[in-house]
Amino acid sequence: MTMAPDTTAFIGQPHRRQNALRHLAGRGRFTTDLVLPRMVHAAFVRSPVARGQILAVDVEQASQAPGVICVLTAADLNPLCMPWVGTLDHFARMASPPQNILAETHVVWAGQPVVMVIASSRAQAEDACELVVVEIEDQEPVVDGAAALALGADTASPGLASNLCYETVLETADVDAAFAKAACVVDGEFSFGRHTAVTLEPRAVVADFDPSTGQLTVHQGTQTPYQFQDVYARHFGLNEGQVRVIAADVGGSFGMKLHVYHEEMATVAASKLLGRPVRFVADRLESFLSDIHARDHKVRARMAVDANGIITAMEVDDLTQIGAFSAYPRTSAAEGNQVIRLMGGPYRMQDYRGRLSVVFQNKVQTSQYRAVGHPIACAVTEVLVDGVAEALGQDPLDLRVRNVVPDDAYPHTSATGYQFEKLSHQACLARLRQMMGYETLRAEQALLRKTGIYRGIGIAPFIEITNPGAAFYGVGGARISAQDGAIVKLTPSGDVQCMISVTEQGQGTETIIAQIVGEQLGVSPERVKVITGDTDTTPVGGATWACRGAGIGGETALRAGRKLRDQILAIAAAVLQSEVVDLRLADASVIDAHTGAVRLSLAEIGRIATYRPDTLPSGTDNSLTAAQHYAPSGFPFAFTNGVQASHVEVDVETGLVKLLKHWVVEDCGRIINPLLVDEQIRGGVVQGLGAALFEECLYDEEGQLTNGSLAEYLVPMACEMPDIVIGHVETPTLDTILGAKGVGEAGTAAAGAAAMNAVNDALLPFKARLMQTPMTPARILAALGHV
Amino acid sequence: MEQDLTKEITVTVNGETVRQRVEPRLSLADWLRDRLGLTATHLGCEMGACGACLVMLNGRPAHACLTLAVQVDGEMVETLEGLRDRGVIADLQAAFHERNALQCGFCTSGMLATAHALLVDNPHPDRSEIRDALSGNYCRCTGYEAIVDAIASTAAARTIDQGTSG
Amino acid sequence: MELEGTQILHATPQAVWQALFDRAILEQAIPGCESLEQKSETEFAAVVRLKVGPVSARFQGEVTLTELEPFSACTLSGKGSGGIAGFAKGTARITLVAEGDVTVLSYRAEAAVGGKLAALGNRLIKATAQKLAGEFFAAFGALLPEEAGGDTGPEDAGEKRRETGGCGAVSRAGGPQIAGNGRTS
Repeated sequence: MTMAPDTTAFIGQPHRRQNALRHLAGRGRFTTDLVLPRMVHAAFVRSPVARGQILAVDVEQASQAPGVICVLTAADLNPLCMPWVGTLDHFARMASPPQNILAETHVVWAGQPVVMVIASSRAQAEDACELVVVEIEDQEPVVDGAAALALGADTASPGLASNLCYETVLETADVDAAFAKAACVVDGEFSFGRHTAVTLEPRAVVADFDPSTGQLTVHQGTQTPYQFQDVYARHFGLNEGQVRVIAADVGGSFGMKLHVYHEEMATVAASKLLGRPVRFVADRLESFLSDIHARDHKVRARMAVDANGIITAMEVDDLTQIGAFSAYPRTSAAEGNQVIRLMGGPYRMQDYRGRLSVVFQNKVQTSQYRAVGHPIACAVTEVLVDGVAEALGQDPLDLRVRNVVPDDAYPHTSATGYQFEKLSHQACLARLRQMMGYETLRAEQALLRKTGIYRGIGIAPFIEITNPGAAFYGVGGARISAQDGAIVKLTPSGDVQCMISVTEQGQGTETIIAQIVGEQLGVSPERVKVITGDTDTTPVGGATWACRGAGIGGETALRAGRKLRDQILAIAAAVLQSEVVDLRLADASVIDAHTGAVRLSLAEIGRIATYRPDTLPSGTDNSLTAAQHYAPSGFPFAFTNGVQASHVEVDVETGLVKLLKHWVVEDCGRIINPLLVDEQIRGGVVQGLGAALFEECLYDEEGQLTNGSLAEYLVPMACEMPDIVIGHVETPTLDTILGAKGVGEAGTAAAGAAAMNAVNDALLPFKARLMQTPMTPARILAALGHV
Repeated sequence: MEQDLTKEITVTVNGETVRQRVEPRLSLADWLRDRLGLTATHLGCEMGACGACLVMLNGRPAHACLTLAVQVDGEMVETLEGLRDRGVIADLQAAFHERNALQCGFCTSGMLATAHALLVDNPHPDRSEIRDALSGNYCRCTGYEAIVDAIASTAAARTIDQGTSG
Repeated sequence: MELEGTQILHATPQAVWQALFDRAILEQAIPGCESLEQKSETEFAAVVRLKVGPVSARFQGEVTLTELEPFSACTLSGKGSGGIAGFAKGTARITLVAEGDVTVLSYRAEAAVGGKLAALGNRLIKATAQKLAGEFFAAFGALLPEEAGGDTGPEDAGEKRRETGGCGAVSRAGGPQIAGNGRTS
């Protein structure tokens, strides 16, 4: 790589990822690749019914099968583990049944693990599963959320008073008055299908308990090693210091790999029981049946505008269907909670009422997945805004320009109570208009319509929650770190290492940390080795979730780097008999701050401090390691903003949607690495488009998932996806020195809303409107009245 | 104990001759990964949909998850490790790195196998041909555009190289 | 999932009716049937090996005949468990109508599957079920005594008649149920 002319400015440069070289060479180190001595393999017998009572479990024949080491039931494993409950204290009156490893008396979703088989190979474990006989008396499952709330409805789990997990209402005093005096009210009923993460590497865990020392080491494909260290220690009664969680390379995560799952807990329990390494790797069907699903919302909403076309109020009722349990430890209510708070986020709207009902049903649990709540809130808001534009006969882009919170009106508090430090909706909309050639596209659209070609343009401004403090989970009693930690050290030969609590799943965390630390120390990022994903070697921290890697992890690294810089300069000043203020770090050296002349290389500092500390003046601290933790203060979240646009062509005969192009203008504050930021946005957009057009976990009325394979669950393919044009506005947060906010979820937040508006715009001549995802050809044809 | 159903196979893997006894049901992917330690070959769906397990079988991409080890007796198998060591995809690897055409890396071996075969068959693919060729390779991280760009730039660079040398 | 179909059988409704309660005929006619045990006049226990798409399994199940309307209609309901492959359950209303010297057998079935079968085989299930139903009735038709003609010895036929006698008794007991079940006709 060529050096930038200013050899100390690494932040803002498109540095390439060192760790990508390993993957390109086939040298990834995924948990699925790990082989340990004496390692045995797990497979599970799962409930074939969605709800039922277990009458008998017969493992006799399975225990005798070739290669089988043991067959474990609830009676064997559950006593080893303290049950877990997915509630948070700050969600008042929230309820969820306690969960334990294997189903004991009842099964509550089709796919719930009932028996665990441990064998010398996975194939033998699967063979033995076929010999296990589980007798279940099936009961009518609770599948529909609305019906589940009816008085006297069966409960999804025994012991629940009702199927209501959580409910809340958020409202301003004048919301009814706002609707009463509205010049126009637009409403809609929305349905957002269940989909799931489909990480290409399935969930994988190797638990290795050493009975001689009491040490538990868990190799796990996860985003949040410290969270799992805490969970395993507490629920298995181990000292935290005896639990080590290692997340090597993780083959995709997207929020799915930070929840507690029965299978991982079973694997740890089995290893404790057997005193040897136990491996569980989900196959694809198991992933579909047991990974958290996402969304599953039914939303009724309306929007009021005044005579000038200014949005004055929204009223929203969200029913979130979460499956049989609220996920642990983050709950399954956080998404709905965010849905009702993100509504109308970009707009000046004064009044609001949001109702949330979170409901149990006999399906696998839903919980946090990339862009928690955002796609729902954004689609509801933006489809209604397009409805307003249509009702008033106004251009949808112009209407939004008039309604967004003006760029000079910050700080601003939304009708739902969110505080915004400084956002740039107007600048982003202006940039988008110019980037996409909006007027030209509209003219082309009108011309093509006359020839029977139906194209649509959809616009969706958005806000995104990033850099969360303790407000999300910590205040609710969850042991989820809101802070992060970094240790930076200078090696004796002048290289730099940074051990940090934020983690890497391919987004480039390690690269941006190297850039940030390198910039503080005047060392090229290629010479900064970043170490992540191991609770024994990195400081404790929250790791990767809710877009905090760059904003919080980056700030932690920056402050750690500056602390080490000051230590290095103090040693250098002592060696050079100089003042610290006259020295600076650049080009891997201590230089004269005024002339730029090299005074001493970092390698020389390292050599002296390590091998000849005796030559330092008495009292000089020779430490070349600095530790720093950082937690966000100031605003509860660092909101980002942006706008997306989608250009589609709908074949009104077949219902097929062709994505022609997609645009994103994003303001994530200070950009640390433009290459990585753009690729985060593109990847996020495609996940959003997948949910909008293709992806859905389909269930029948018996609560059976009916498309549990990659042949039938439609993941977006290269040939279906458009090129994505990206522009930036940079409004750094002033809450941190670094000024960076998150960007990982922005793409997913609004891509679906833009696509939905685009499809509906294409269908405008037919007066057809879709408010359901995914927008399948069949649903489009139904909206057109063709089927 | 039940009767021995294993069968001996002799396979050229990444240029080396490997002779082993395998169970008839063992997939090529499991054989490569678990018995030979060739972990660049990944398993994403085990039904030939995602493309993470693509290897070169006699020079053509094949799903190692759908192929049984016994089926490749006497054949030539090349994994990403072999392609890497032979240097035949060095420019593709460099282009992927330069363009950041991978994130988590789990789909990457399969992507490189498809890209390698595509550029052998069609040295001058346009973007839509590249996107079509990648339709059997799922990537959940990148959104595909960077991968398309990297393959397109490799094709363009190979064309220029051939132009100047010929 | 709903299935329906008709089959023309070269036998009288009486003969078809008898065969529907004949363990030996059913065992041969059910595709993949490994064993069929008659537990009472109207209850059978079956072990059937089936393959649906990527899922193959040995199902252990029970089949019960109810709502008997002698020589003209009955309801078959069954549930089978295939272990980790999942389960299948369903009911079928079968009607027999004499047309000249043949009997038209019609069935209308409501079926559901669960577990791996549902998750992986869903799109194949209806086609598979239709195919299995077709195979069953084809084999069933071929096994009817009239069709078999001289191959079926008088002793066999006599045995069947004895079983039929039993069924007739049960069918009377089932009379009131039939009256209340007009929606299936």
